[in-house]
Amino acid sequence: MRFWEYVAYRLILAVVVVFGVVTIVFVTSRIVPSDPAALWVGSHPTVEAIKKARIELHLNEPLWKQYAYYIGALVKGDLGVSIRTHNSVASDLRTAFSATFELIVVAEAIAILIGVPLGVVSAVRKDSWVDNLSRILAVSGVSLPAFWFGIILQLIFFRYLGILPLSDRVGTIVLLQHPLKVLTGFYLLDSLLTGNFAVFWDALKHIILPAFTLSVYPIGLITRQVRSMMVEVLQENYVRTVRAYGLPERQIYYKYALKNAITPALISVGLSFAYTLVGAFLVELVFNWPGLGRYAANAILSMDYPAISGVTIVVATTYVFVNLVVDLIQVHLDPRIVL
Amino acid sequence: MKGSVRFLLVGVFILGMFWGVAVAGNPNVAIYAYNSEMITLDPSTEFSNSVVVLANLYECLVKYTPSGLKPWLAVSWEALNGGKEWVFHLRRGVKFHSGNEMTAKDVKWSVERTIKMGGGAAFIWDPVKKVEVVDRYTVKFVLKYAANLPLIASAGYGAYIMDSKTLSEIGDNKAIAKYLNKGHEAGSGPYTLVKYNPKTEIIMKKFNDYWGGWKKGQIDIAVVKVVPDASLREQMVISGQAQITRDLPIDDIPKLEDNKKVTIKRSLSYQELYGMLNTQKKPLNNKLVRKALSYATPYEKILKYILHDYGVVANGPIPKGMFGYFQDMKGYSYDISKAKQLLSKAGYAKGGIKLLLTYMQGDSSEKKVAEILKAEWKKIGVDLEIKAMNWEQQWALAKSDPSKAQDVLVFYWWPTYATPYDFLFNMFHSEKTINFNLCYYRNPNFDKLIDEAVALEGTDVKKSSALYRKAEEILLDDAPAIFFYSPDAIYVVNRGVKGFKANPGYTQVVFFYQLFKR
Repeated sequence: MRFWEYVAYRLILAVVVVFGVVTIVFVTSRIVPSDPAALWVGSHPTVEAIKKARIELHLNEPLWKQYAYYIGALVKGDLGVSIRTHNSVASDLRTAFSATFELIVVAEAIAILIGVPLGVVSAVRKDSWVDNLSRILAVSGVSLPAFWFGIILQLIFFRYLGILPLSDRVGTIVLLQHPLKVLTGFYLLDSLLTGNFAVFWDALKHIILPAFTLSVYPIGLITRQVRSMMVEVLQENYVRTVRAYGLPERQIYYKYALKNAITPALISVGLSFAYTLVGAFLVELVFNWPGLGRYAANAILSMDYPAISGVTIVVATTYVFVNLVVDLIQVHLDPRIVL
Repeated sequence: MKGSVRFLLVGVFILGMFWGVAVAGNPNVAIYAYNSEMITLDPSTEFSNSVVVLANLYECLVKYTPSGLKPWLAVSWEALNGGKEWVFHLRRGVKFHSGNEMTAKDVKWSVERTIKMGGGAAFIWDPVKKVEVVDRYTVKFVLKYAANLPLIASAGYGAYIMDSKTLSEIGDNKAIAKYLNKGHEAGSGPYTLVKYNPKTEIIMKKFNDYWGGWKKGQIDIAVVKVVPDASLREQMVISGQAQITRDLPIDDIPKLEDNKKVTIKRSLSYQELYGMLNTQKKPLNNKLVRKALSYATPYEKILKYILHDYGVVANGPIPKGMFGYFQDMKGYSYDISKAKQLLSKAGYAKGGIKLLLTYMQGDSSEKKVAEILKAEWKKIGVDLEIKAMNWEQQWALAKSDPSKAQDVLVFYWWPTYATPYDFLFNMFHSEKTINFNLCYYRNPNFDKLIDEAVALEGTDVKKSSALYRKAEEILLDDAPAIFFYSPDAIYVVNRGVKGFKANPGYTQVVFFYQLFKR
């Protein structure tokens, strides 16, 4: 009961946060001097076309009225139409979000699969060559510009070895010959669910390079955090006790010690997850991934306010949601934390 | 565990390579890697990037080419009543993608719909009073005033002929627009729409019943792929992942000339870069100062350093290759001492002029032009402040009170359809409300000349041309703008594809029907 009360409380709080964010974005994007009508009508409009657009977009009305229109539509789930592309923001966001989300899930999975064991090994063999090597890898992973690393990977795996595709989510021709029924928008999942293995393999090939590029930063982060916590935890009495019981080393590290050491790493995974949602812009550009970062950057550059607000809502909601999930997992892992 | 991951990856690679091979022997595919996403798909209102798709799905009555107007859906046309009426004879046996035959009714319906919706480039039809169906294959346009209607009917925006039977069944104009923008079309062009994903790719398939017929080696599947990153587009065309692209960094082009995998196709672009001078504000309201700035601009140097000579220096307001461009007209050239002379005559012998220049953020050639001007104009005592703005902001400032607006506005112009009137009217004709006359130039004599010239364009080319020339010479003398250059349109084409030819009348369009693959 208390659990659900807590979740409900957090969700209500989330609505307040998102609402506040929307208001701030709305006001700032309208105060900046620009002319949405000019963006709406295309490159060489007539005076009449601009006049018509101003009426269509309610630009002649006072700001509070425009805000009322916007919120009124928003409550009904209508995010409006992009000023720049005339497409529905909601459907644009849906496709962009699923593209990015799929990429990040794979990237974070890679990060956890590599980062956690690397962190544990480094802690266990503190100051050995393994530890030093993983330190170098982690520090360079955190400090390398991701897009540059992406280009290097393209050079190696596409240009020289020719074993992985250059860019995009899936090959044009593969998709044409094996049409994919879109269920969730995640190509890997959809193709598996519909038994479309041609698209599945192709999508998998396409996601490896961008996902690995994106995972380099969290790998570094997770490795360092798991290592430092593990080093502390391994000094604790209970570890000495289980060791005295003669449990296998592997079990001590991964079952008993890691459980207490992983919390901070988990939080940073969660936060980097939400951050990457729009922060992966350059990686998306290099791999032509039609994601949220690219969408957000285009929207901001052209002052396309319905699109900007839409992106903000999605990111804020994800942030709040991921935070909640991370908190709940922590509660589950650590009985000392009380809701 | 690590071993099993590696095993899985190797498996994936091997399978993937199989698929790569399996696809290679199949239909002829051409991919055009394009830098920007699509906007709308309604031929009546679309006035932006999506023409790269529309021009392959739909056709106009007339096709523009640099060597003159050519038949397209109309096989011939004639003017009556001194260009106030035009009759078009339609091609017979043209089928729309639905199987319906294209007739005079479709022409009337399409043009009237575009006029009625009044969006995008609908203004091109402004001269039209009514459209009459004479018989099944003849259509007559009755005009309010004389105009070059065949040229208008060749426009890349707003002049496409649609299948009226299919579309009128959908509902009213709004319902049709909604239907089309969802990824449908109703054209007669060589390709039909298979998949429309405005943010990533647009896939088209050849239309078997196309009136032009098909030859072996032509493209079966035409793809426009949205790839915003220029270096990625370059990689794609070199490696054959795409066949054609454009808008690569100009600094990369000389290097690509030596690349054996691609060919560089350059053509005139009908685009020109202008520096609009504020004729309503001190000190540029003085003609002598404007002339001095025109002389203090190093045209050849700009062309060389910014465009690597991929373009031509402008000699006036109309870009090279178009009707209304005169090879022998003398424009300005770089002459610092003359500029100094003019300035001292205007009372600025000691310089002391401060000017503000705006240009569009993110446009690297405009930025470099601005920087060169700053350095060069310093030599004649002009202190130039340069400011990058996004276009909507730049334009909003320019449309505010001219006495408080910028002094110099750098921007490109290109025509909606290839008439000099589009340039001269939009940028230099007197305006009640400021729109694109961003030098705020007012000259009734000039207005009269170009208004007369455009009326004669379709019927008396010689006289029209002479009137345009007179108007352009007035502009050169009044110097309301600096005419920098006209850049080439540069397409990079993979050697696997033949037959590509850019048509400056249809900006950025690749007509896939021209292409052949071995």
